[in-house]
Amino acid sequence: MTTHDTPESRSDDRKTIIVTGATGGVGRGIAIACGRVGWSVWIAARREKEGLAVAEEVTAAGGTGHFVRCDAGERRSVEAMIDAVIEADGRLDGICHNATSGLSPVPVTLCDVPLKDFQNHVDVALRAAWALARKGHAALKESGGSLLLLTSEAGFEGKAKLSPYAGVKGAQRGFARALAREWGHDGIRVNSLAPLAATPAMERAFELDPEMVPRVLERNPLGYLGDPADDIGSAARFLLSDEARYVTGHTLMVDGGSCPAI
Amino acid sequence: MDTDRPLLLATEADETLLLAKSLDAELSPLPACEAPETFETWRSEFASQAARGAIVVAPWENGRTRGELMGLDESGWRRRFELPYLLWNFALGAAARRCADGGAIVAIVQAPAALEAPGWTPELSIADGLLSLIRSIAASEGTRGVRANLVTTPIGLTEVDLVAPPPPLAGFPGQIDKHVAGAVRMLLCPDAHGLTGRVLPADGGRSL
Repeated sequence: MTTHDTPESRSDDRKTIIVTGATGGVGRGIAIACGRVGWSVWIAARREKEGLAVAEEVTAAGGTGHFVRCDAGERRSVEAMIDAVIEADGRLDGICHNATSGLSPVPVTLCDVPLKDFQNHVDVALRAAWALARKGHAALKESGGSLLLLTSEAGFEGKAKLSPYAGVKGAQRGFARALAREWGHDGIRVNSLAPLAATPAMERAFELDPEMVPRVLERNPLGYLGDPADDIGSAARFLLSDEARYVTGHTLMVDGGSCPAI
Repeated sequence: MDTDRPLLLATEADETLLLAKSLDAELSPLPACEAPETFETWRSEFASQAARGAIVVAPWENGRTRGELMGLDESGWRRRFELPYLLWNFALGAAARRCADGGAIVAIVQAPAALEAPGWTPELSIADGLLSLIRSIAASEGTRGVRANLVTTPIGLTEVDLVAPPPPLAGFPGQIDKHVAGAVRMLLCPDAHGLTGRVLPADGGRSL
């Protein structure tokens, strides 16, 4: 790649990317935002009906949407999913790991969390990141691609009632920071993005903990929750694109300036 | 039992025995990292005992070896990340429950400096996860005056040539009884009563 790359020389219009857990919320927004620039976007998720619906939205936005079944916490499922994507598209330019445990918005005291719940958080957040990275490495090296992990402001500042979620989100940041240094010589970038968005998961968290509403909104200088496609998706697309070719090991806060822990 | 002494919640590694001596702490052993099926019972029993004013948590392991992610199979990932991380969650939850009102919790985690991170992805994942957990505890237990802070050290994770430039202070990666114990004592002492949710790298300035 030349130092003075021109827009015409970039290959962003041919990218193939995977977004895990993209049947709704932030993942859906990222998928649609990437579809808007003509990318081939694979919705990797367990729920086929919802995944197919998002794939149709990606296509309607200008890209090519696909659904591929994947249970992110299962290594074999992740490996089969990546094989299927590469077999179909012949390449892989980016992996966005957005899937998170269904327990993420459930308030809990750290001392009361059962082992199976901790394990569920760890499986979906970190074992999936490990499996996606290992299986995707060769294709990403060939394309000069990138891995993007969806973390959270909870991964910086913690959360009093969501500590298992906060812990794995912090761990994902460390994973990205270290792997960026391991993979730099292969030309693969690894980054994290910490969104604050209006999503079904956020709505559920507000229902479960009404006191959370002022805690989240009153400290937000921009005064609103981000739109999953327009606010969060565009930032994720940047990190997955060649425009961010010199950005690695970074966590981009896309939270309206909310998090004071930076 | 002398309840004024810090309670050191740790695995019986050589480093933690030295740390217990340096802090004049009572050592309370954690369950084996490889036996997660015992974690719930251990936590229940530990948390139900008499409250303590100062609890130090350090589930260290001897003999850590580096290795890049691409060489780490599923059992290796579970051994280096999942099992230690699960034990950390149980240890910190139990410490939070047992810490007395107005008390202090200090966790000590082995963390590579960013420059030496290659080969230590599972360990840096644990360390950054720990910071979020400590801040979660600082938020949840702060309402009853409990402080929670984190000390990081690269001791045991330096099986690699140092990247230039060298650390600002000589003696990298430091000593358990001098540098790590000193940082812990500082965070436990009454002069630190305004500090919570902080991370203190005891690494000679390497993580600057």
